[in-house]
Amino acid sequence: MKRRDFLKFSASTTLALAALGAGEEEGFFMAARSLADGKGAEPMPAGSLGAKEVTSVCEMCFWRCPIVGKVKNGRLIKIEGNPNSPANGARVCARGNSGVQLLYDPDRLKYPLKRMGKRGEGKWAKISWDEALDEIAFNMEKVKKKYGPHALAYFDHGSSAEFMREIFKTLGTENYSSEPAFFQCVGPVIAAYLNSMGYVVSGTRQYIDMANAKAILLVGSHIGENVHVSHVREFVAGLQNGAKLVVVDPRFSVAANKADIYLPIRPGTDIALLMAWVNYVIQHGLYDKKFVEKNCIGFEDVRNAVKDYTLEWAARICDLNVNDIKAAIRILAVESPHVAIHPGRHSTWYGKGDVERHHALAILASLFGAVGRKGGIYFPTPVKKAHAHCIRRKEKEDMEEPDESLRDKFPFVDPFPGVPTDRIIDATLTGRPYPIRLWGINGINIIQTISNPYKTMEAIKKLDFIFSEEILPGETAIWSDIVLPEATYLERYDALYAYDGLTPYLTVRQPVVEPLFDVKTPYWIARELARRLKLKCLSCKDEKEFIEEELKELGLSLEKLNSKGGIIVHKANPYRDADKLKMPTESGKILLSIEDFEDEGLDPVPQFRPTPAPPKGYARLLYGRAPVHTFSRTMNNLWLQHEWPENHAWINDEVAKRIGVRDGDEIALENQDGRRSNPVKAKVTPGIRPDCIYLPHGFGVRSKHLTKTYGKGASDNFLITHCITDPFMGSSGKRTNFVRVIKGKKTLDIPELRPIPEELPRFKLNRA
Amino acid sequence: MSQYAMVIDLDRCVGCHACAVACRAEWNVPTEEGYRRNWLKRIGPENTPHGLSYTFYPGLCNHCDQPVCVDVCPVEPEERLFKSFKDGSSKKMAIKATYKEPFTGIVLIDKGRCEGCGACVEACPYKARYLDETLDDPKADKCTFCFERISRGEQPACVKTCIGDARIFGDLNDPASQVAKLVKAGGARRMESKVVKIGPNVYWKGKEKDIFALFKNFAPMTKTWE
Ligand code: SF4
Ligand code: SF4
Ligand code: SF4
Repeated sequence: MKRRDFLKFSASTTLALAALGAGEEEGFFMAARSLADGKGAEPMPAGSLGAKEVTSVCEMCFWRCPIVGKVKNGRLIKIEGNPNSPANGARVCARGNSGVQLLYDPDRLKYPLKRMGKRGEGKWAKISWDEALDEIAFNMEKVKKKYGPHALAYFDHGSSAEFMREIFKTLGTENYSSEPAFFQCVGPVIAAYLNSMGYVVSGTRQYIDMANAKAILLVGSHIGENVHVSHVREFVAGLQNGAKLVVVDPRFSVAANKADIYLPIRPGTDIALLMAWVNYVIQHGLYDKKFVEKNCIGFEDVRNAVKDYTLEWAARICDLNVNDIKAAIRILAVESPHVAIHPGRHSTWYGKGDVERHHALAILASLFGAVGRKGGIYFPTPVKKAHAHCIRRKEKEDMEEPDESLRDKFPFVDPFPGVPTDRIIDATLTGRPYPIRLWGINGINIIQTISNPYKTMEAIKKLDFIFSEEILPGETAIWSDIVLPEATYLERYDALYAYDGLTPYLTVRQPVVEPLFDVKTPYWIARELARRLKLKCLSCKDEKEFIEEELKELGLSLEKLNSKGGIIVHKANPYRDADKLKMPTESGKILLSIEDFEDEGLDPVPQFRPTPAPPKGYARLLYGRAPVHTFSRTMNNLWLQHEWPENHAWINDEVAKRIGVRDGDEIALENQDGRRSNPVKAKVTPGIRPDCIYLPHGFGVRSKHLTKTYGKGASDNFLITHCITDPFMGSSGKRTNFVRVIKGKKTLDIPELRPIPEELPRFKLNRA
Repeated sequence: MSQYAMVIDLDRCVGCHACAVACRAEWNVPTEEGYRRNWLKRIGPENTPHGLSYTFYPGLCNHCDQPVCVDVCPVEPEERLFKSFKDGSSKKMAIKATYKEPFTGIVLIDKGRCEGCGACVEACPYKARYLDETLDDPKADKCTFCFERISRGEQPACVKTCIGDARIFGDLNDPASQVAKLVKAGGARRMESKVVKIGPNVYWKGKEKDIFALFKNFAPMTKTWE
């Protein structure tokens, strides 16, 4: 509806209410009331209209859109976007809408639990908060005393995990933040851009100006299936404004469907394509010479490093049509510098070559001069935030390093906190280089997130103690000795949230309803634990106290913020004059060639080093997001599970025909290590390469306590048992697993429909 | 007289399901199998004569010009006095338990008189209705174009939450409205077939391949009401 219609409507609202509400007495039929319920007795208005509104911040995913909770009779009935938010307006995604069903999920953890059966069995007894926290504190002290501080490890994610991180940090372990979000997801892209451009162009956020781009390149990013509201909106806006779109992906994604050129690339060969494009751009003078001269270091190194990468060669390696890849690079070049070379996000693909792939994307963007300019990579706008001193964040420098750090082997894990998840698990299993005996887990289901869950479960068996803070009794809970039930984001204050993208703002999370059951807020839990451990951190009485303190420093208060609709909008400053670019690197320039990489024996300019191709009879396992789910944590949500109850295994139609699998058939997948998935239905489609099988991530839940989703679909993570560790920062490359199909009692080999060039090594099976 | 209508732009839709969930939340629609006022179905990826397509069917009741669901309702018509929420004018009309509201063209259900026979549910060629048997007294239910909301100047819930702004809502009879423009000159089309032509007021727009896939999979081909 147009704005004008609205105004017209609003003007007649009083009239409308009269017509609908009092209508019948005057003899008018209450057209709308008849809709309210079967009895026609519900007082108007029905639906969410007339509800009490509380502004807050979503946490159904980490994007954290500003929201409004609508409360009627003390019950949250609906969530909408905060209309004052410049990022999402009144919109929230399916998950944002479904927060209601997280809050009221009858499967929720309602009080602290202590494990009764074996680890992993999921048998518990109800205990009090005092007992639970005493026991955790006791074990933390005991382990620290016996094995030293580094024997404590913390796996964390999201806003609930932040306060407890202070405890682990203050206790002095180097393992105080082992974020799977970093080491199992965004680590490589962060390392690539931080080292080439001096800031995190893509981490939690992606500072890429798709809305104003004239052409967009996506390499493996499946925006639309990966849903972050403002990001999707910028993508759609760009396309609506006429941006051309090039999508590189072995699977025909939602984004691919919108593409002008779709390149179904052979997995693992992206760098070949990117470096051939870089070469083409240089050879044909399609790059922004002035921009490169002024703002980039290492152009000659790049030129030399890529000179043998031709489009013809890339076409063969990547299994693409040479005319298509030429047309694609020409589209991007013609529209430069207003081209959005999307930096990507989830980037732990192949272990070796992951940082290089994103470095290659950074080089391409830089050659086009598409940095700091409309439509390109842009700069975040700092939104002023304050830090309450009562949280007292202890500096990392105070920590006593272990003789041999788990971070040692990874030169580019700095400046990030924590330790590669995989190394923690190895150290827990082997006791080397030092023992790890206690895990705390907060906001993350480590079993469905960290690769090779079999190994994770073995490691857990070795621990003296393991506890987790959770909302739902998922797999991590059933492996814990103590489970602490946490208040959802709808039942708590948390912190101030600043968004520094194209539509900057400051907002705050506040409770929409009071906590249900006997759950507590993450701050309360961390503070109580800190008190028991006699630590000098988290001294504020509650969240409100430090939020008010922080707001005061900004000349605000909760009351004032709320009177402004719960959000303060800032002006964006995303672009720069290309003559005064001043990158936040030491030299102020973009490093096309990265000397620091070379110093560590790594490629200063990306080189194509092929990842092994599937062994005969197998397809590469790919995975991605279902748009209505966040990782593995929303599968039990009543509304979301109704929309998308199980995943399907995508199989190429030609392959399916050859092996006798039909659409909808029940199959299982077996990986190179003989691990078998739960049963899953086949989705037979021409929309995937014949050498890949794709599973949306997060399904195949193995905790019986998640009653709505238990046993539905297959878990990709339980098929990811072979990872290659990235040499830069120790992340785990996951697309290094291969599967074949089991149907009935038969094991079906995947026919090789796309011959593999000689240059590409094959993965060697470990088994006879 | 208005005729409210929706244009769904598949180029803007990303298949996120927000619309379907927002509708369920707004109207507290039970989650029994097949219970929904609004839905998102995925189509493909599949081949079409215009290329590979991976698209969606974000659907709802079409508030048809000739609503066959109304035709089959067996409840005896009774006269009612209707009032326009736009200008306050009024009008008398005899209605069955489901009817096309005279001022908006929105097809509604009079829950007070619905007998729950399910005739309309069977008759709708778009499967837009369901019979709510979670009620002691089962009633038919379906999309109302959020009548309560739009009569108060609010957008329908699915439109308001649509993250791609793919659902465009307004009065088709107002030539200045965006829906009217999209229908007149923007290439938005009704999903009909040779056999089923009952004047749906939801229109579709998008790439040729996506419209092809949508219509091929979901345009009703048989008369369900005779
Ligand atoms: S993208 Fe969706 S789930 Fe994520 S914060 Fe926004 S509304 Fe919530
Ligand atoms: S779509 Fe179906 S229920 Fe809606 S008006 Fe048309 S026939 Fe009736
Ligand atoms: S909310 Fe909008 S973009 Fe999302 S599925 Fe529905 S129509 Fe498509």
